[in-house]
Amino acid sequence: MSERSIDVDLTRTSSGQVVKERIYKWLLFGCAALTVFVTASIIVTLAADALTFFSMVSPVEFFTGTEWFVRGDGGTYGVWPLVTATLIITVVSAIVSVPTGVAAAVYLSEYASDRMRSVLKPALEVLAGIPTVVYGYLALVYLTPALQWVGIPVSTFNLLSASIMVGIMIIPMVSSLSEDAMSSVPDSLRQAGYGMGATKYEVSTGIVIPAAVSGIFSSFILALSRAIGETMIVVMAAGLRPRMFNFANPLDNLLSSGQPMTAGMVNAVTSDATGGSATYLSMFALGLTLFTITFAMNLASDYVAARYQEEYQ
Amino acid sequence: MATNQGTGEWYGTDEAVSRVRGQAFKTLCLGATLLALLAVFVLLLYVANDAFRPLSADIGWLLSFAATVVLPVLAAVGYYYTRDTKAGETATIALGLPVICLLLAGGVFITFEHIVSVYQWLSILVSLGIAAAIVAAHNRVRADADLERFAVIVGVPALLLWYVPDVILSLPVLPTQSLALLGSFAVPIALATGWFVRRQRESDRDGAIAAAVTIVGAAAGLGVAPVVGLSPFVWMLLVTITGVPVGLYVESVFRRGAGVSGLAFPVLVGGGILMGVVITNALGFTGPNPWLDWGFLTSSPSRTPEDAGFYPPLVGSVMMLLVIVVSAFPVGVGAAIYLEEYAPKRGLLGRVVDLIEVNIGNLAGVPSVVYGVLGLALFIRWGGLGSGTALVGGFTIGLLILPIVIISSQEAIRAVPDSMRQASYGMGATKWQTTRNVVLPEALPGIMTGNILAMGRAIGETAPLLIIGAPAVVRIAPASFTNKFSAMPRQIYTWSSEIDVAFRHGVLAAGVVTLLVVLLLMNGAAIIIRNKYQRRD
Amino acid sequence: MTHDSMTDSDSGTDTQATDGGRESLASNDLEGSDPTTEPLVDSSIDVDGRSDAPASADRTVIESNDLDVYYDDVQALQSIDIEIPAEKVTAIIGPSGCGKSTFLRCINRMNDLVDAARIDGELLFEGKNVYDDDVDPVVLRRKIGMVFQAPNPFPKSIYDNVAYGLEVQGIEGDYDEIVEEALRRAALWDEVKDQLDSSGLDLSGGQQQRLCIARAIAPDPDVILMDEPASALDPVATSKIEDLIEDLAEEYTVIIVTHNMQQAARISDKTAVFLTGGELVEFDDTNKIFENPEHDRVEDYITGKFG
Repeated sequence: MSERSIDVDLTRTSSGQVVKERIYKWLLFGCAALTVFVTASIIVTLAADALTFFSMVSPVEFFTGTEWFVRGDGGTYGVWPLVTATLIITVVSAIVSVPTGVAAAVYLSEYASDRMRSVLKPALEVLAGIPTVVYGYLALVYLTPALQWVGIPVSTFNLLSASIMVGIMIIPMVSSLSEDAMSSVPDSLRQAGYGMGATKYEVSTGIVIPAAVSGIFSSFILALSRAIGETMIVVMAAGLRPRMFNFANPLDNLLSSGQPMTAGMVNAVTSDATGGSATYLSMFALGLTLFTITFAMNLASDYVAARYQEEYQ
Repeated sequence: MATNQGTGEWYGTDEAVSRVRGQAFKTLCLGATLLALLAVFVLLLYVANDAFRPLSADIGWLLSFAATVVLPVLAAVGYYYTRDTKAGETATIALGLPVICLLLAGGVFITFEHIVSVYQWLSILVSLGIAAAIVAAHNRVRADADLERFAVIVGVPALLLWYVPDVILSLPVLPTQSLALLGSFAVPIALATGWFVRRQRESDRDGAIAAAVTIVGAAAGLGVAPVVGLSPFVWMLLVTITGVPVGLYVESVFRRGAGVSGLAFPVLVGGGILMGVVITNALGFTGPNPWLDWGFLTSSPSRTPEDAGFYPPLVGSVMMLLVIVVSAFPVGVGAAIYLEEYAPKRGLLGRVVDLIEVNIGNLAGVPSVVYGVLGLALFIRWGGLGSGTALVGGFTIGLLILPIVIISSQEAIRAVPDSMRQASYGMGATKWQTTRNVVLPEALPGIMTGNILAMGRAIGETAPLLIIGAPAVVRIAPASFTNKFSAMPRQIYTWSSEIDVAFRHGVLAAGVVTLLVVLLLMNGAAIIIRNKYQRRD
Repeated sequence: MTHDSMTDSDSGTDTQATDGGRESLASNDLEGSDPTTEPLVDSSIDVDGRSDAPASADRTVIESNDLDVYYDDVQALQSIDIEIPAEKVTAIIGPSGCGKSTFLRCINRMNDLVDAARIDGELLFEGKNVYDDDVDPVVLRRKIGMVFQAPNPFPKSIYDNVAYGLEVQGIEGDYDEIVEEALRRAALWDEVKDQLDSSGLDLSGGQQQRLCIARAIAPDPDVILMDEPASALDPVATSKIEDLIEDLAEEYTVIIVTHNMQQAARISDKTAVFLTGGELVEFDDTNKIFENPEHDRVEDYITGKFG
């Protein structure tokens, strides 16, 4: 502060520090860019081996076939039995989780006292943190016998028990995402409703839910994408026997065993099939199909959610 | 009368109807919330029943323990809940902290027993010490050579770690295992404790006392432990990992003077159990014959349900977590730092960053089984690593939790007030200096909370392990990261396909309860950290 | 760092500038963040006799030529020309959203942290354009310290707060001595000398702001920028800060943004008046501005007639 130099040097003197800063920056950028590499390698590895698979089995047979039968390294690879099983799981789990999840979200966002919320929300978080292998075990060892005890004639491995469990597993996801959407509905809208003499019920169902509808919808898409990709519950409780959808007796499909796509992948790799055989490579074709579906659903959910965020900002 | 009628009219007579409808709707919503919780809760009660088989005990045994443990605990909980919520908070932590620390001590024990021997650890520590000395010396001698120092900081430790440990391990005379542990583990923890206390209390004396007490407590194990029936090795781990945090917590509760009566709770629980044991022994009641017991945790899987154990998968899970901590966490936190602190919002790079952000969100939604296929293709078929090894398992599940780590770390970093960054930049700090000195210390508790929760996710993942070929049964704990390994959920899946009902309703339940308890404790640890640091704001 | 988080902390006034919001002085005062502000300031305001020395003798430290600043498409500053003298207190006043904080942040290039900001024209510090390509903003900020609107000490000890600048700038020397000296200059030493190890956040608001001033002067910058440093403080703490600023001007060039005209009149030697739209309307000795401004608009603003 004593002597003042008229010409100051504002350029960096120590070039080492500049380089150091730059190294850190690019190192950190590398970490972030790694995630793109992960996506890219998922696509490349799945596609490469799926192509080999399609050179052995024609895509037409794969995408239109109604029989999936694997013995050793060979077999018949028609994807529809697996797709229909996945669809059954998705639909039934949606029937379980969507109404329950939305009702729970309404309760948490509109009715619950602070104390109640401080108990219920962590409890739901714990539910979301339970590993799927535990849910699978619960379905296989407790839920299926319970269904039989009630009088529903399910077999030991069945799609009903598995899809109910998948539904329970994704309830916390639906409720927490929907609650976020409802909480971000501005309070002025609710007050406008009350000011018009509406009851709490009318405000919840007539104002809050419609205002948050795209957020709620995006939570459905995410939850369903989760149900499609769920593996351990279906592997453990639904069994590993692929079975084409029985149109003559639709209810029978629920009560007997089935093999969704994820279970098909596990089966391909844990069976005795040797690496490079069609059975082994079918895992990659199934994986690519699964990845494409879930990725598209996640993008759709993003799109829907982004639209609703614009409405209130 | 006329006015009365008028009021009656505007009060509305159909009011009751809409109220009924509203009440019904509210009850329906509450019911839906509880449905999922209760369904899983009831099922978990069944699991616990199968794992512990309380009904196999004498009725007298159950009654004695109800009298000595359950009743006092219920009374205490009632008291804390109604009278003294502050003490209730203390009681929860006072009971939870020792349990969490015991779990951690178990993890460290497994690490020293199977993964890094005490001597290896000692040699690594010595190498790093030498490296630090060289770096410091270089800093002195060539203070201006920034770039050179950067090379030294990266290069010297790497070189030393490559050569020095072997030299040390081949020395003809090595200290006993206990002494080595005392020097290489207890002493650093004592120093850290002393540093922490010194900072907290702003007193050199208190810091020195804390460090000295830790050292003496650990060293006492050399003489005392055999008398109590423990090895000095276990004693030292218990003192440093469980004793130190619990001691610090108890001391801080006394110092603050709020909720001290909560400290009675763990004493009540421990004393009740002890009394129950004494009474049932005296009266000759036989206890239950649980599936989940010490033998289950410490023995290997077996074909007979009675002998089946969980030890090798436990070791496998710890190894996998170590790989994840070393690989996925630094990368995830680094990515979060880049996205929050460095990433430009505009221009070509800005658009790349947008793409990265969208991509991370979508990766979080990719099914776990697909990550398994990725790990198989990337690490085993292209990378040439052995299938089903802890290294591949850790890498694969590390990729799976990477988006979760990034997103939660981003949230923690975003919560650091911008005024602090501005203050730092205003002082002429560079971006990295600001990040290292201001942003990271503030965001650390949040980052740790997120990372622990991500570990919880990692420890329960099964499907990727199936795909990368983790074997169904591993009978001896893996000796290195490149051996075949099994993890807890993988073993649970194996048991689920056993036909024997003793497996389904016994061994399997015990394994599931173990996994859930570990998870619950990890979540508890994350919540304790979050609450402790949130309160400061 | 995102744009949103940038603007919501310290540069509340800049946010409005980007919106082009026109606010009257009256409504500005109604916000009442500063208890010492009075609703009207009459033209016979009492000016300290600090600025006796002829301004022309002063050496210019900071000079801007035709400086324009845009946030996205909104122009926040219009062609600013100003010459700020060394070792004097220069006040920048004006209504909310007139760009005065923006100008301050241009001087040490804090606006670089806002992605949306774009700067045209030149701003010279000791004759060197700080927006030249070869200028490193980090080095620039080491020569120009800054004190922010709300006190923002780091969650570190008082000692570490003051020593922070020394550490990041790699300054050698006896830190104990430098820290004590800085705290003494900031008139804080006597209050905190026994608790240097305790957290800077444990201090009161006024003490925190003086800690921030100590932190800014510890590395011995040439210029100190202050962005409404007293607006979050009570009257007693404010007057302490004002005394401190006058003392600092003996050795440093101080540039202070304030929307409190009495404060500007009390402590500054020179005053620049920015008006809505981001133009510098008048820049002169403080007593000239407050007693006999050249422009009618400035007079209207000073007397509270501004609309």
